[in-house]
This record gives sequence, C-alpha cells and structure tokens, in this order.
Amino acid sequence: MPRARSWGFIAVLFSLILGSIFVHSVFITDTGINNFNSSDLSSINNYTYYAVAIPLGIISLFLTGTGFWIGYTILTIKVVPPMPEIADKKDNSKIKAFILCIAALVLGILFLYGICIKNFWALAIPAAFITLVILGSIFWIGIAIITTRSTLNGKNAGKQS
Amino acid sequence: MKICLLSYRGNPYCGGQGIYITYLAKELVKQGHEVHVIAGPPYPEKIDGVIMHKIDNRNYFNNKNNFIDRDNPFASLRIPDIYEFIAAKIGIFPEMETFSIRAFLKIRELLRKFSFDIIHDNQCLGYGFLLLKNLGIPIISTIHHPLTIDRSTWFEFPSSFMIKMKRILYYPLIMHKYMANKMEKIITVSYDSAQQINKDFNVPMEKIRVIYNGMDSDIFYPLKNIKKKKNSIIFVGNVEDRKKGIIYLLKAISKTKNRVNLTIVDGGAPNRSFVPKWIDKFGINDRVHFTGKIPLERLIKLYSETEIAVTPSLYEGFGFPAAEAMACEVPVIAAEGGALPEVVGDHMKTGYLVPLRDSAALAEAIDFLLDNPKMRKDIGKAARRRILTIFTWEKASKEMVEVYRNVINAYSRF
Repeated sequence: MPRARSWGFIAVLFSLILGSIFVHSVFITDTGINNFNSSDLSSINNYTYYAVAIPLGIISLFLTGTGFWIGYTILTIKVVPPMPEIADKKDNSKIKAFILCIAALVLGILFLYGICIKNFWALAIPAAFITLVILGSIFWIGIAIITTRSTLNGKNAGKQS
Repeated sequence: MKICLLSYRGNPYCGGQGIYITYLAKELVKQGHEVHVIAGPPYPEKIDGVIMHKIDNRNYFNNKNNFIDRDNPFASLRIPDIYEFIAAKIGIFPEMETFSIRAFLKIRELLRKFSFDIIHDNQCLGYGFLLLKNLGIPIISTIHHPLTIDRSTWFEFPSSFMIKMKRILYYPLIMHKYMANKMEKIITVSYDSAQQINKDFNVPMEKIRVIYNGMDSDIFYPLKNIKKKKNSIIFVGNVEDRKKGIIYLLKAISKTKNRVNLTIVDGGAPNRSFVPKWIDKFGINDRVHFTGKIPLERLIKLYSETEIAVTPSLYEGFGFPAAEAMACEVPVIAAEGGALPEVVGDHMKTGYLVPLRDSAALAEAIDFLLDNPKMRKDIGKAARRRILTIFTWEKASKEMVEVYRNVINAYSRF
C-alpha cells in the first residue's frame, strides 16, 4: 500500500495542477477573448471550428436536455397523492421543476446560439465541465487511495505476532 | 443445450433476482443442460453442476467511502471503473450498464473455450448487450417488473426536490425500454407484469412470454410442533422500498380491534430511515419488532410461529414473500398490487385480498382472520396446495427450455 499511497499523491497533484492550469488559462488569463464579452472565433477556419464545436455542442445539449427531462418528468409524473398523515404541505417540487425546465431550455438555446455565432464561452463552458469532472474524479480517487488504511498481509501479520 | 445465464447480482439473499437465477440454473442442470452463470456481486453460492463465472464491480454507488480495492488501488482509474465512479457520483445507478459491458468481454473470452446456444439475461438490459448481439447468439431477457413502477411508487411519498431529481437519474428507464425491444424474447413472471412491460416499454405482447416463478416447497414448509404466537403477524421485505406499502400496514395496525404484534423481517438497521418515524407517528412502537437480516431457518420458524402474513405491496412483479408464507401454510393478506392476486389466488379460499392503499380494509382483514382460526387454517392449507400445484421451479424451467428452443429455431432461420 505505501507505493499505492505515493501514486495517490501523484494522482492528487496531477489533477490539481492540470485543473489549475485549465482554470487559469480559460477563465483568468487575459487573452482578449475570454473577458466575458461576446468575443468570437471567426478567424478560425470553419472546418476546424466545427470539428471542436459539434462534439462540445452535443455534450452541452445532452446536459441541458437531461436537466429539461428531469424537470419535465417531475412536472408531469402522475402518481397517487400520499396519505394525509405523511403528506408534505410545503412541497414545491413542481415549481422548482418548472424553473429547471425553463433554465435548461434557455441554456440549451444559448449554447446553440453561442456555437452559431462562434462565441468562445459556448465552447469553454462545456470543455471546462468535462475537464473538471474528469480531473475532479481523479483527485477524489487519489484522496481515497491516500486515506485508505493499509492492512498487513498474512505473512507480515505472522511476523508481527 | 448450452445455456449462459447472466445476473448482475447473483446472491439468492439479495432479492428475487438471485433466487431466480439460482433455482433456474439448478433445474436446468437437472434436465441435463450445460449451464454457465455469469454473475456480479454479491455472488451466488456454488450450485452443483453449474459453471460459475464471476464478474467484478466496485459498487461505487453504495460504497461511498471505502471504494478503493486494496489489492488493486488503480482499478478505479480503468475505463469501465472510472465511468462507474463518475456515474455513481452524479447519482446514476451504473451497475447494470457496466455489468453488461463486462459480461460482453467475459463472454467473448469464454467463447474461445465454450459455446453457447442461448444467452439469458436477468433484468440487466444494459447497452453492452448490443455488443453481445454481434456474437451471433440469441439473447433473451427476464424482466421481473418494469422499473417504471419503482419510480412512480417512490414519487407517491413526499420527498425533497433534490431527492426527486436523484430518483429520476437513478432508474435506467430509457436504457431498459430501448434494450427490452432489442431482445429476441422477453420473459416475465406474471400476466400483470407482462401488461405493464407492454404499456411502459412498448414491447409487443407477442414478444413477451409469462413463466411463473417457482417456490421451493422443500425449504418453505410448515414446521410441526411449533406453537403459534397469539395475534402475531409478519411482514417480509425491504421496508424502505416504497412499493412494498409498509406504511399502509403500519396505519392498519393502529386501527385493529385486536392488539396485534408485527414482526418485520428486513435488511437491517442501516436500511431504515422513514419507517421508524412512521411507527412513532402511528404510536405503535411497542407492537412492532424488527429482526434485521436472519438466516433462512429462522425465517421458516418465524412463519410457523406466526398467525398471518401481510403483503400490502403497491406492486409486485411476482411476490416471493407471499408465496413463501403460503408454502408455509400461513394465511396471506395481500393488497391487489401487481401480480399478488395471481399468486395468492382466490379471495377467502387461498388468501385474503384487500384493495390497494386501503389501511382500513387491511385492519378489517387482520381482525377477521385473527377472530377466525378455522378460516386461517383452511386458507393456509389451500395456499400451500396452490403453491405445490402452480408454482414449482421444475415447471418453470421446462417452460423456459421450450422458450429457448423456439427462440433458437427462429434465430437460426435468419
């Protein structure tokens, strides 16, 4: 386990460093296009642009579509009302579901529009999502490797006793 | 015939799926077939004559903290594992999907050594089976009941918006609907379930075949010389599974004229969150006793000591607890949920049926049977006769082999 533990540290450091570089490069460094203005990527060749934009657009639509689907399901699911003894009078799930549907719809349209007008953020946000989810998972697994207690194997245990 | 059975959870003590695969495999071996079982954890016990192949999974969904394999800490970073990890953290239940991919890899490896005439999946229906279809072996699936039922019964109970969101993500309904239509045949365990699969997954009725589960009446039988405890009733099942309808039983207990004592056989304390609150709410703390997980022998003894078994389920694809109690000659009060009327049989002859979600009717039924010992005895005896006649694994496996033959013949024509 000690060797595994050191690899756990490497996984944590690797994900932290890459994550920091990514966040810094995309959101902090002033490159002239990432200042939250409607900056475009029109100088890039169309084929090159859409080779990147289409997969990222599909991911954006998949995520916003999932959000919409969740909201829509909560909004439309037909079930028998709970018995009065356990009914929650403050249940405002339907309102929240409606807001989720609208937010997902608006975001989906914005992403599509952003891709059409070659806006930087329409690509950067889904790219950030994918990168940070993967690096976050590696970080989490690294932490788990570090914090998992090692056990002595049978041979060593025999020596100890 | 060379049969490959797949089950993403294989242990008979983890629910109906494990029982199904264990008994089906045993009976198919008895009939002289070569049976392979590819199962995920918890694994089935060794079955004589069955060639067992175990498939690993990390169970990230349930292991929130200690999910690192000490012998192989980097396994979590492998392709199916990292997907399973991310999906589980988002709230998706990835076990079925990843099992189907691992099963494909395993079968591809096994085909170098063995050959299979048919592959029979047990309610996994993962996307990985699309790859299996390219191997040129017919594949069928058993759906005990569509998971749409689990989701809708969950929504009957109050919960926060976050929990509702998680529940929607949790059930792989889109995958099941898509994959159910890709199978050569769908087997199900009751006519009610067949209709539900047709309605929820749009699987044509002619593609669905009903084969009732069996009941091991050599294990579940009435023990002699055991005294019944007065006014005792038993509930067997996962109390946190909303479709089991335990809340209606708890409310009924607070309404009965007789002071009844309820024994709940469930998975154990960590799996209880809502039920203790409801017991408090109905003021029946002194009348409800939890056993937690118990060995089979103790369960059979409990059945023999108990006067009535109650299955208040909102839905059951089959209803093993009702059938077990019937095999032990314990009269069953069952709600008319899903397949329970098919299993329990005639009202007042082989069981006692009450309307769904009706705690008053449940309370009335409990009082009625407690006040009529002769009726209890007659119903109990008729119930066991019904089980011995209709629900046997031998019958189920013979019908299954007939389905296998038809599917193989139809498949080879193309």
